[in-house]
Amino acid sequence: MSSVIAPIPAGRKRKDAIMRGVLLAGTLVALVPLVLVVYYLLKRGVGALSWDFFTTDPTGSFLGPAGGVRSAIVGTIVIVAIAAAIAVPVGIAVALYLVEYGKKSIFANVVRYFVDVMTGVPSIVFGLFIYIVLVLTGVAGNFAGWKGSVALALLMLPVVTRSAEVVLILVPNSLREAALALGAPRWKVIARVVLPAAFPGLITGSILAVARGAGETAPLLFTAFAVNETTWDPGKQMNSLPIQIYNDVRQAQSNIVERAWGGALTLVAMILILTLIARLIQRRSRVA
Amino acid sequence: MSAEHNEMTTGGAEKQGEPQHVAPDVRAVVREQGDRVAAPVESPARTVKLQGLHAYYGEQHAVKGVDLTYAANEVTAMIGPSGCGKSTVVRCINRMHEEIPGARAEGRVMLDDEDVYGAEVDVVSVRRVIGMVFQKPNPFPTMSIFDNVAAGLRLSGRRVPNLKDRVEQSLRGAGLWEEVKDRLGRPGVGLSGGQQQRLCIARTIAVEPEVILMDEPASALDPISTLKIEELVLELKKRYTIVIVTHNMQQAARVADKTAFMLAGELVEFADTDTLFTNPSDSRTEDYVTGKFG
Amino acid sequence: MTAGHGRLHFQAELKSLEDQALGGLDMVISTLDRTLEALEHQDIELASIVVHDDDRIDGRYLEVQQGILSLLALQAPVASDLRTVAALLHVIKHVERMGDQCVNIAKMLPVVGFEPPSDEVMLGHIQKMGQLARSQVAQCKQAFLLRDVAVAEDLVRQDEQINKLNRAVFARAVEVGTDADRREWAMSMMLVARALERIGDNAVDIGEQVAFVVTGLFREFSDASSPG
Repeated sequence: MSSVIAPIPAGRKRKDAIMRGVLLAGTLVALVPLVLVVYYLLKRGVGALSWDFFTTDPTGSFLGPAGGVRSAIVGTIVIVAIAAAIAVPVGIAVALYLVEYGKKSIFANVVRYFVDVMTGVPSIVFGLFIYIVLVLTGVAGNFAGWKGSVALALLMLPVVTRSAEVVLILVPNSLREAALALGAPRWKVIARVVLPAAFPGLITGSILAVARGAGETAPLLFTAFAVNETTWDPGKQMNSLPIQIYNDVRQAQSNIVERAWGGALTLVAMILILTLIARLIQRRSRVA
Repeated sequence: MSAEHNEMTTGGAEKQGEPQHVAPDVRAVVREQGDRVAAPVESPARTVKLQGLHAYYGEQHAVKGVDLTYAANEVTAMIGPSGCGKSTVVRCINRMHEEIPGARAEGRVMLDDEDVYGAEVDVVSVRRVIGMVFQKPNPFPTMSIFDNVAAGLRLSGRRVPNLKDRVEQSLRGAGLWEEVKDRLGRPGVGLSGGQQQRLCIARTIAVEPEVILMDEPASALDPISTLKIEELVLELKKRYTIVIVTHNMQQAARVADKTAFMLAGELVEFADTDTLFTNPSDSRTEDYVTGKFG
Repeated sequence: MTAGHGRLHFQAELKSLEDQALGGLDMVISTLDRTLEALEHQDIELASIVVHDDDRIDGRYLEVQQGILSLLALQAPVASDLRTVAALLHVIKHVERMGDQCVNIAKMLPVVGFEPPSDEVMLGHIQKMGQLARSQVAQCKQAFLLRDVAVAEDLVRQDEQINKLNRAVFARAVEVGTDADRREWAMSMMLVARALERIGDNAVDIGEQVAFVVTGLFREFSDASSPG
């Protein structure tokens, strides 16, 4: 009678080990650039950080003090906030339509297709589009912060919709049924049951979209343009971090270049903080 | 009158200092020993009559002309092999069937003398009178126990003078009060399976329907919870008309006054449970209940 | 009844229980044969064997009862299966009673004893009653086995004959009773006749159970219980 308890055959052990090794190596390879990026950011950017860095505007002069990046930070915050305010609700609304109403209809499928296409459109195209539609036509002034927001919103919209759709589909249908069976009209089912249940996932998706938008330079080039002064008025031209970095890194002065690295570090840090806040919101709202 | 009312208010806690509001739906007497509330019936439960009910999933003809009467304040069980249409029939009663894309129903479902499928009827209002408990317990995950029970009222847009009392009454009615009264703020999904299902029942009766539909309410539960749910059904029928779909014939035998046997979309036999299980008239029923198929 | 492909184990158990219960009827028949033979040949030894062998019938009764309890507890039979189980409980009870009646007859023999003054007429009646009773027991077994209500109802016919003969025995006993010698013997024979008549009644009761299993309704075969 052969024994059930036998040692693991050597061949299998080897295969397991090889598989583990390969996957580990792949992970490390993927991590290396990430680590390098963080390392370089810190190494090159930390030096630029100072009180002045955060509290003064770039002077724009080639000689003398270069100034900080306050206007860029302010601009990024304002432009991205407005973009998010547009993209997130609209994106979620589209996702809601697709999941709750459109479902498998032809129209819904067409919409899905175009949303997918939009995720692939290069960001500069959005910038150009807004440039032509809003800037050249001279609607409400020339370059303006809010026009940059619109361009960014177009960029962020498909990202929000896609991730929101996935999350909404994951809400178990049994919850919708329970709410319907209690005599709730469809809109209440969505507002009081589906959305709260999907909330953590929707937040994550929105953060992803915001992170994507915050880092884009191209759309802003043609729409918000760049000025050096801090302004909180979206109706005017605004500075933003990506553009500031773009401009600075090409300068000859090393301190300005260093400022570019500082700006990049700041941008990454801002997104990090945003993600942390989002995680906190998720944790609070998750009734586990 | 108010002294009498005070005595009869649920909870038993002193209510000095609280305004003497008259909450007409809180005419309940709390028994010392149990969780159960024997509430005088507000409006008598209704009779449901199916007349020539047909149901389709796209092209598939799932229910083929069913005529059936569910008597008020009785428990009727629907039994039959998988795919026979019993769940579909029940879902047609509260018009949940049509929520499935491509599904439709024909025929009449009379709630006393009103046709649920009438031309002018608002589906939402139907579901406020006909409640449903599902096979897998589905408490709302983002809500606490209290909010779950209150959800029915909030979702259907009803205002109740004293929400706390209504919630307590419903939890008592579902036999869950004693187990959760100290943790009403905790999430609904933190309860065990059997408790969750009783929570869903509490949520359903909080809305004060007249008919309760149960689609295999205990099939996902352990035997002890199953028996508790069955006990509950026997209590609930005093106030509601109950239709219960079940795969478990012993359950139908224990719980139902009348039983309907369906096969391949047709109603084969409908009789007193006693008769159906001791001396069924149709040989197909005989074969099914004795386990020769299904 | 459609042949099913479900619950084969249960169906097999039910069949085996039925075989056991009906087997009890076979035991009654062989006991009755022995009893009648002992009666005919005044065989006291054979009579005492009958008395002792009744333990076997009692044992069968307990077996079947236990089997029924198990089946009810474990298998929760319904519909015709349930009626069959309930009927088997009655059947085995009647089997046990029939066995007891045979014992009653066998116990009469030592009393009747040595050199019985006998009456041919009465003996003749009792022989006939014995044959009828035996045939009734065999017939009720067939009726149950075949679930044949007509066969079951026919038992009533034979039962009427037994009842008639019982009345005849009674009348004869009254006649013969004037003779002091034969009085005791006659009274004993009357008791024997009565026991045989009771066996017949039990067989009819089993017939009623057959009708119950088949139709789901219980009714007395009223002719049998009409007063003599």
